[in-house]
Amino acid sequence: MKARAASGQEAGDKWEVQLRKGCLELAILAALWDGKLYGLEILQRLERDSDLVISEGTVYPLLSRLKVLGLVRSEWVESDAGHPRKYYALTPAGRQRGREMAAMWTRFSSSMDRLLAPLAKGK
Amino acid sequence: MITSGDAQPRIEAYLGRLQQRLRGMNDDDVREIVEEMRSHLTDKAAAGGELTAAGIDAAIAALGTPEELASQYVTDDLLARAEVSRSPLRILESLFRWASLSVAGFFVLMSTLLGYFLGTTLALSALLKTIHPHTAGLWVIPDGAGDYDLSLRLGFGSVPVGGRELLGWWIVPAGLFVGCGLVVLTTRFALWSVRQYRKSRALPQG
Repeated sequence: MKARAASGQEAGDKWEVQLRKGCLELAILAALWDGKLYGLEILQRLERDSDLVISEGTVYPLLSRLKVLGLVRSEWVESDAGHPRKYYALTPAGRQRGREMAAMWTRFSSSMDRLLAPLAKGK
Repeated sequence: MITSGDAQPRIEAYLGRLQQRLRGMNDDDVREIVEEMRSHLTDKAAAGGELTAAGIDAAIAALGTPEELASQYVTDDLLARAEVSRSPLRILESLFRWASLSVAGFFVLMSTLLGYFLGTTLALSALLKTIHPHTAGLWVIPDGAGDYDLSLRLGFGSVPVGGRELLGWWIVPAGLFVGCGLVVLTTRFALWSVRQYRKSRALPQG
């Protein structure tokens, strides 16, 4: 707890963390778009395709929250590893929400890109 | 398959602590969380092929302490349920759990209890005014030492000696309005605090 309080964090770092955190829900919905995955697979996919994962301890509670909200459902499946795994899949409501969020994201990021163009050129 | 004799006890010790911290949540939910974490830790620790003590320690460290993980579950659960129902009882139930896990949770619980208590007492004294018209309401009562106490009375018992009622029948609309308003504001405060806490926990780990 103390070690992670990171009192010396730069404001910019904090902003980046908030930004990532805000995108995590959409990223999880996107990771599940093509079919069901279990927790570790979702984490691995997010790590491979993005640098959104702040901590594993954040993703699992978020998954259970998405479940309470009815955006994902879960089922236990026996695995070859000798223990069952909890798989998550999108519900129709989750699919709908994913589409809405993706559309919002696209609108938002293209307007930000336009706005930020001069800053990138200035480099 | 798990074969290492040293590995399993470490995972079980972590899960035992986690389960303890989650106590108070729905039993089925707790069982699911513990099972899922067991499955995660076993898979993650064996990701390199061999299940080693170092692999287990790293997997456990990546999840955070049982207290942190439990706090995340409890507050996430509270926020998700609050989106479905804003019942003060539900919120208090979750806050009790959270209070046992962190200092922040304790203070939020105390403030929320105070807010709900004041709100309900105000609304109750407004309602009971219609049944106890002569004794319920907001009173100023001398405390015997030359000072006065402000007292919100539900009207059970007799008229206080030397007391003076302040609002009269106005306590009915005023008490209901302010009382219910206080309950709503307290609920908002509790949810706001939980969100602030969640934001502060979003710092990068390790």
